Amino acid sequence: MSNVVMEIENLHARIGAKEILKGLNLQLEEGKVHAIMGPNGAGKSTLSKAITGHYDVEVTEGAIRYKGQEIVDWEPEDRALEGIFLSFQNPVEIPGVNNAYFLRTAVNAKRKHQGLEELNAAEFLREMKALVQELGMKPEMINRSLNEGFSGGEKKRNEILQMMMLQPDLIILDEIDSGLDIDALRAVSEGINKMKDGKRSFLVITHYSRILDYIEPDYIHVLKDGKIIKTAGPELVAELEEKGYGAIEEA
Amino acid sequence: MRPMLLGEMTPETLMEELGTSPSKALAARRLAQLGMPTRKSEAYRYFDIEPLMAHDWEILRNEASAEIAESEEQIVITDGRVTALPKGVEVQVGCSDAIDLDGNHFDPLYYLGHLLSPEVISIRFKEDAKVTLVHRFTQPGKLLAYRTAIYLDANTHVQIDERFEGEQACGALILSGSDVFISRDATLTLIKDETLKEGDYVPILSHRIKVDSQALCRLHSFDFGAGSGLQLIRVQLHEHARIDADHLLYATDHARRGTVSQIVHIGQSSVSNQRAKNILAEKARGIFDALIKVEHTGKYTKAHQNSKAILLNDGAYMASKPQLEIYIDDLEASHGSTTGQLDEAQLFYLRSRGIAKEEARKMLILAFANELIDALEDERMRERLHASFETAYWGVTNVTCMETCHGCEDLAAGTAAK
Repeated sequence: MSNVVMEIENLHARIGAKEILKGLNLQLEEGKVHAIMGPNGAGKSTLSKAITGHYDVEVTEGAIRYKGQEIVDWEPEDRALEGIFLSFQNPVEIPGVNNAYFLRTAVNAKRKHQGLEELNAAEFLREMKALVQELGMKPEMINRSLNEGFSGGEKKRNEILQMMMLQPDLIILDEIDSGLDIDALRAVSEGINKMKDGKRSFLVITHYSRILDYIEPDYIHVLKDGKIIKTAGPELVAELEEKGYGAIEEA
Repeated sequence: MRPMLLGEMTPETLMEELGTSPSKALAARRLAQLGMPTRKSEAYRYFDIEPLMAHDWEILRNEASAEIAESEEQIVITDGRVTALPKGVEVQVGCSDAIDLDGNHFDPLYYLGHLLSPEVISIRFKEDAKVTLVHRFTQPGKLLAYRTAIYLDANTHVQIDERFEGEQACGALILSGSDVFISRDATLTLIKDETLKEGDYVPILSHRIKVDSQALCRLHSFDFGAGSGLQLIRVQLHEHARIDADHLLYATDHARRGTVSQIVHIGQSSVSNQRAKNILAEKARGIFDALIKVEHTGKYTKAHQNSKAILLNDGAYMASKPQLEIYIDDLEASHGSTTGQLDEAQLFYLRSRGIAKEEARKMLILAFANELIDALEDERMRERLHASFETAYWGVTNVTCMETCHGCEDLAAGTAAK
């Protein structure tokens, strides 16, 4: 077995008064693609929020260990600086914050954290423009306000752009395929696949198996009612397609 | 002189007491009608006016300066007197005690300012121009009253960058403001930038802006800092006239700052678009009390008004009162007001990318302010106002071109080409 990059143990978490995660256990291995599948309301997005330290989610019991360290009490920015990246299901629009300025601030915050020299504007923009082109994004998006007025596909591509610039170690993709047409899905998937380097880990959260045709998973975990109820290899996708989540519960 | 005592006088007694010329009879009559402002006066309800009106002020009276210096592009008014004029700019500056007063201004201090001003500094633009108008105050603890009148001839296009310097004038009360006359087909862009510190002078700037047929007024006011001050504006819009009025306020400590305005649509097809953004910290109070009035004659008017406020602390307070008063049916109008805190979802998004909480808050506050700063057409002014806002907010500015312009793309392209 590869090294474990994240270990989630008996995680209980709630949003408001409602308990969503009810003793979830999960291990994510270094360099592997883990897919979490499950029906609506199972707690998939809550899991991603708990890992990234979202203000909505209160962890009431259990542990999240990342690279051996307990991170439940860490600030969201500290988790990000240590290499955790969440591609949001619905990226928020921030009018007035220039996309390039935002991303340069984020990239330089990480470089500073790593003890590297900050990128100057020209170096940064050269790198950003190359990736914008690679992802098939419109060049004017560089200077637009962050996600403001972006279509669903443009927002997702912008998430991938951020991911590629920030070079994280653990990438959580929350419903990355929602709202994408075939071309956008292909471009986004290619971007993600390029990030695979044998060290970096992925947690792909999805309802449907479509994205898994493009990003091949190593493990499939079925999340239902706040718990992982089954873990298997990629062959589980076909079974889920055929029988649905209900059958897994029965099994 | 205690201004509050003037409120009980007849127009005749007022004129005698203040020693004003007969040409100011209208001002005396209106002041007597309106009375001096108290905390019950609508326009001053949220501003601590009573201590200022009760104070026994020494009135600053300056002799006309013997020499007026030449400057690059600045008109400098020091303690109510013109001390520098730009060379090579077609601007006529003179003084006069005869001015077409607004007989319906809502602010009694508009009239008091006129009564106390020995003469009006009149600035006339006959051609297109860009000038800086500097108001400099040097005398602490006194009451300084002076008025300016700005005239734009027909078809002229003028930008006035209005600045205020008064570090030495702690505790002074400034009763000032402009009567602005924008002739047919002319355009005035008036950019006011005033940062106050706790204990600085208190400006009460009462303006009247008359926008003639098919003329345009772009008013951008930027009020930053910790002191107290109020701007009171009455605008008259004639046929096909337009005003775009933006007000950005950042107030902190125990500041009392804001805008009280009345925009009156007199002519048909006139347009007003008023936007206020207010950022309030500590125990500051922001004021936006604005009325848009559409007269019977103002058919096919478009009138829009909006105020947004962010409260950065529990003690901060926003008094926002947008109002519409409409006497016709054929028009398009809207108004709205929101007050809240920084958006948590936006804050989290930035933090989830590794940006520290304080830096993320800074980015969001800048973003909130940016909409009104970026509305300035003049790029140099945009950069200056970004810097001015940052300096007021953090004490220093580190505005980079990435925040304010798109020139970096060229820079990147240039570097790549090498």
